[in-house]
Amino acid sequence: MKKAVLVFSLIVFANALFAQTKTTTSATVAFDATTALDALPKAENKTVIAEIDTQTGQIGFEAAVKNFTFSKPTIQAHFNEERWLNSNKYPAFTFMGKISEVTKYNFSNNGIYNVTVMGQLTIKDKTNFITTPATIEVKNGVLFATASFTIALADYGIQVGSSGKIAGEPKITVSAELK
Amino acid sequence: MTEKSASRMGWIKKALIALLSVFLLGGLAVWYLINENFEDTTLTKSSFTVNAQELINAFQDNDSLANSTYQEQLITVHGRITETEAADSTVNIKFVDPITGSYLIFAFQTQHVSDAKILAAGDSVAIKASCSGNIFSQLRKAHMISFKRAVLVEKFKT
Repeated sequence: MKKAVLVFSLIVFANALFAQTKTTTSATVAFDATTALDALPKAENKTVIAEIDTQTGQIGFEAAVKNFTFSKPTIQAHFNEERWLNSNKYPAFTFMGKISEVTKYNFSNNGIYNVTVMGQLTIKDKTNFITTPATIEVKNGVLFATASFTIALADYGIQVGSSGKIAGEPKITVSAELK
Repeated sequence: MTEKSASRMGWIKKALIALLSVFLLGGLAVWYLINENFEDTTLTKSSFTVNAQELINAFQDNDSLANSTYQEQLITVHGRITETEAADSTVNIKFVDPITGSYLIFAFQTQHVSDAKILAAGDSVAIKASCSGNIFSQLRKAHMISFKRAVLVEKFKT
């Protein structure tokens, strides 16, 4: 009986450790649209949903626009208003994509994997295809994923104007610990 | 001084005053923006005090109504922590509906992150934070109700 419980526990533990879908609801996405003229337009959201299927390479991210935090209330209000992200009407950012040539990588082994991620980023109901290098570090079944890329705000119907205070192509940095 | 040159001087004076006013107003706006900050959540009164499961139910039952009631409001939430989750160098606190998987998630205000790090699943707490409302996650097929600038109000003895 003891042996059966031990074997069952080991199976459950191994399944949890090497389950093919790794998830978190606390991924971080940082948005940096600062320029030489203005260091204020940058924000972070630490409650982003992320999933990676290590077998198929499918990746998904979902973020609540209103949970991006800025240091300044006025800038945060601008970010959410109609002419910017219009978060009342479009409350989420999503990214649905996959790891390119996923069969080349064995994410059940510890190590650092430099991968290419491609997929559809949707902001304000406008979807664009993006490709970015990313790094996935595997430590005992836990995935630490990071990526950094830029997006053109005009591609999502957001006009920054000509004041030079907001970068038209802000830097997006993603980090996630997936279990 | 002729009448014409006196009139010109008057216009120059008016233009200089207008220019100075624009600079002053611009300077005030910049000063305000630089010095404006979110207040420490501990110092701000919450608009609502609710139980965690009841708040999840409110969003599951009618998310439009719940969003219009709670979004961008400071709320104190009571409940037993379901899960703590690493978020970069910080920790988020979660209350999860065991049946639907819908959840409340709290990201702590920078100066209060150390309070989040001492909390664990099973702890009975009161947390105050700004509610960002709900999105329905297509990945998790559940409601995610997120909070920012959270602070620990109380950790109850169990």
